[in-house]
Amino acid sequence: MEPAKMASPKSAPKDAQVMAQILKDMGITEYEPRVINQMLEFAYRYVTTILEDAKIYSSHAKKSSVDADDVRLAIQCRTDQSFTSPPPRDFLLDIARQKNQTPLPLIKPYSGPRLPPDRYCLTAPNYRLKSLQKKVSSSAGRITVPRLSVGAVSSRPSTPTLGTPSAQTVSVSAKVGTPVSLTGQRFTVQIPSSQAAVKSATPTTPTVQNVLINPSLIGPKNILITTNMVSSQNTSSESNPLKRKHEDDDDYDNL
Amino acid sequence: DRQTLVAVLQFLRRSNLRESEEILRREARLLGDDLGAAALSPAGAGLLGAPGGDADSTGGEALLSRVTAAAAIAIGGSAATVASSSPGVAAVAAVPPGKGGARARVAGSLGPRLTSRAVSRGRFASFFRLSYKLLPYANVFAVGGGVVVEDQPDVSAVLSAYNQQGDPTLYEEYYSGLKHFIECSLDCHRAELSQLFYPLFVHMYLELVYNQHESEAKSFFERFHGDQECYYQDDLRVLSSLTKKEHMKGNETMLDFRTSKFVLRISRDSYQLLKRHLQEKQNNQIWNIVQEHLYIDIFDGMPRSKQQIDAMVGSLAGEAKREANKAKVFFGLLKEPEFDVPLDDEDEEGENEEGKPKKKKPKKDSVGSKSKKQDPNAPPQNRIPLPELKDSDKLDKVMNMKEAARRVRLGPECLPSICFYTFLNAYQGLTAVDITDDSSMIVGGFADSTVRVWSVTPKKLRSVKTAADLSLIDKESDDVLERIMDEKTASELKILYGHSGPVYGTSFSPDRNYLLSCSEDGTVRLWSLQTFTCLVGYKGHNYPVWDTQFSPYGYYFVSGGHDRVARLWATDHYQPLRIFAGHLADVTCTRFHPNSNYIATGSADRTVRLWDVLNGNCVRIFTGHKGPIHSLAFSPNGRFLATGATDGRVLLWDIGHGLMVGELKGHTDTVYALRFSRDGEILASGSMDNTVRLWDAVKAFEDLETDDFTTATGHINLPENSQDLLLGTYMTKSTPVVHLHFTRRNLLLAAGAYSSQ
Repeated sequence: MEPAKMASPKSAPKDAQVMAQILKDMGITEYEPRVINQMLEFAYRYVTTILEDAKIYSSHAKKSSVDADDVRLAIQCRTDQSFTSPPPRDFLLDIARQKNQTPLPLIKPYSGPRLPPDRYCLTAPNYRLKSLQKKVSSSAGRITVPRLSVGAVSSRPSTPTLGTPSAQTVSVSAKVGTPVSLTGQRFTVQIPSSQAAVKSATPTTPTVQNVLINPSLIGPKNILITTNMVSSQNTSSESNPLKRKHEDDDDYDNL
Repeated sequence: DRQTLVAVLQFLRRSNLRESEEILRREARLLGDDLGAAALSPAGAGLLGAPGGDADSTGGEALLSRVTAAAAIAIGGSAATVASSSPGVAAVAAVPPGKGGARARVAGSLGPRLTSRAVSRGRFASFFRLSYKLLPYANVFAVGGGVVVEDQPDVSAVLSAYNQQGDPTLYEEYYSGLKHFIECSLDCHRAELSQLFYPLFVHMYLELVYNQHESEAKSFFERFHGDQECYYQDDLRVLSSLTKKEHMKGNETMLDFRTSKFVLRISRDSYQLLKRHLQEKQNNQIWNIVQEHLYIDIFDGMPRSKQQIDAMVGSLAGEAKREANKAKVFFGLLKEPEFDVPLDDEDEEGENEEGKPKKKKPKKDSVGSKSKKQDPNAPPQNRIPLPELKDSDKLDKVMNMKEAARRVRLGPECLPSICFYTFLNAYQGLTAVDITDDSSMIVGGFADSTVRVWSVTPKKLRSVKTAADLSLIDKESDDVLERIMDEKTASELKILYGHSGPVYGTSFSPDRNYLLSCSEDGTVRLWSLQTFTCLVGYKGHNYPVWDTQFSPYGYYFVSGGHDRVARLWATDHYQPLRIFAGHLADVTCTRFHPNSNYIATGSADRTVRLWDVLNGNCVRIFTGHKGPIHSLAFSPNGRFLATGATDGRVLLWDIGHGLMVGELKGHTDTVYALRFSRDGEILASGSMDNTVRLWDAVKAFEDLETDDFTTATGHINLPENSQDLLLGTYMTKSTPVVHLHFTRRNLLLAAGAYSSQ
């Protein structure tokens, strides 16, 4: 690999210049600057893994130093492990021939939703999705908003805009079936003093009332705060001390 | 003879290469039999199945089968080498079965030493070649061939295609000799013979690389890569990075390129010219390669012009053989089922299909077509099992018909209005879009692995209540279907989580109950649009799945991915029903034909294939694009297919005849979206160059010349009428167009993500 004459900024280290040249040779002209960093990291990790493996092989063969054969063996073993490639063509043609020989199965009429047997379906999840602010708010900054416990709040977005990272709402349907994921743009604002855990604790209302949303910078949302809900939320929160603890954790995460 | 040969071989075991050479040569001359060198030349492709090998490895029995297979595959009827050694081969082949094992060991001992003997290698290669070929005849194949199980038998088979070798330093001479010959030939032949340059160049280069002549390979590449056609530049760039033999092993597409024969269509006159020239010269590597790796489809008639050829070439495997496009395809539509639907009063102003005078009492309103005769081009109704129509489907059909009555008739004078849905703040993460048939919902698949469903109409998305709540409602009430819906969680947007990689394809089911999404994590997920949860994950592709689509009748869906196959699934089977294998590179786009009997797949190997759902056969191969294909659209009458690729061209194909019938030039970047209007009058195309273009489909498909010559040879003279067919170009500010959809009333909806640069 020859050092590149052209490069990004002059202050880029030699490795980065080499990587830029490689990208250019392979015909990639537009890329974000951090692609070079990612490629360099990959190259470094790959080479060190191979060389470490090669050292192990050469010491196993009681050689004094690592030579080309060790490296070759290391590469071969790692390739089979990490960089698997799709099956070769004649294998595919073979299994295709086998599969295509069986006639198409007849369809039973009036059989309701046509799904595979239950063990192959995902219709019985044993988990629920909790709030995902962590995932969502990673890109935008975090703003600590003074929290007010709020009831059902929905803001109406004007257009089907996407990027406002509306947080996944907590699906706290207590006991029953499939988690209902709410995606309104709702707010939970909590008064620090009350530390109310706003949860719809009553089993009969499976829908989630509070949502911890990443207060994004993209635009203010319309907030309807129904203050008369506060008291009811407070009572419900006191009745669930355990759940409140969960909420506290989330609060800390958000702060 | 046999006994002497046996003795020879036993002697060989104990001696080194030189002596064995001498002996074999002596024996060879004794027998003096040129064992059907001619018969062996076409044998190459047929023996691919056996594992081949590279001569570097040292497995014993394994090596014989490998080397011989390699040799067999590498048979190219090279006159010089065959003539001298074929007798020797005959000798070996005649060895009785009992010596099979011994021979294997012998070959094994010879094998490693083969590498060191450049001069004699050619002879021994052919020696083993012919011996392998004759093994079946001598009935000793079982021993040699049956032995092996290589880790990568197929890879070795492919790579061994280069075991044969001429003198590496002379490759440049051969190639420039051919170049000179072609450039000096008559104009009419030159265009056709120039097709040879690219495959020959690639194969010669790869042979040099495989045989580890790195410096010669490099200089060969440097000298001649600039001569190739511009549309091969991407391939050449990939090729330039393959400088060592080890590099070849990982690249499946290049391997497939080696095993499959590159198809060239050349007129008989040009072919005679070429053959005469190549056979005159001796020791000509090029003739070997032509015979091994190229399939020359000869046709009688006028040689084609450069323009005609340029329209059809470009794919990784050359053009399509003519007989690949001769199978009968049922491109007609299935008959709509007839059923009685009482007309509402409000429909009285709508057109009555039967054209009878309107009467007061409710009439039969049949949704089906009037003609009792079976369309000869339509498949029988029960050719593939299709789900029965449910009541909700019938209602949907009625609604469809009502909307169709109000549909705007489009044409060059009446262009559709275009409504563009821009996804904001997607940060280049929008990777797939789909819109339901009645245009009520739009789904976006994103690079952050989410699938988001929006309601386009004022009606919000509601999910079914939970089981506890459902038990509380009154099941006897009239509006039970409304009551089961949960009002509290109604919203315009629902986000579906589940995939673990960017979502590359989405598809609504025709009855709007299900949504499919396919992703880089190798799975296709089925989501319910009534509970907005994931129902099934179909695992089969272990590599990124690039596209998926529901059948127009529901129940079946197709997916295509990086593993170069497309799979047909049914929602109630956890394994695919059909596997469509044949493409040389990733399958990037999959679409059902309107009659659900055929599937079109576009691939990164720049071909489009049409597959029969009933038996999985490939019934059509369309070549002509110069880049990976990203969009496909069937015309509503099922007769034509439009394809768009990264080269910015939209090509039109006649499915019945298997011909290219049109080329629409105008876009300057990848065409990601294609859609015909509801009655097939307008073709809309959307591209990365931020434009939507409308083309006159009626005019493009009329006046097709399908005379005998065209159907026989598949050559058509395409008129340069792109400008005439272009009805309008509509630019967005800076939003590449990812999806197009004609509503039931022929309003055009388009979707894309705003990108700020």
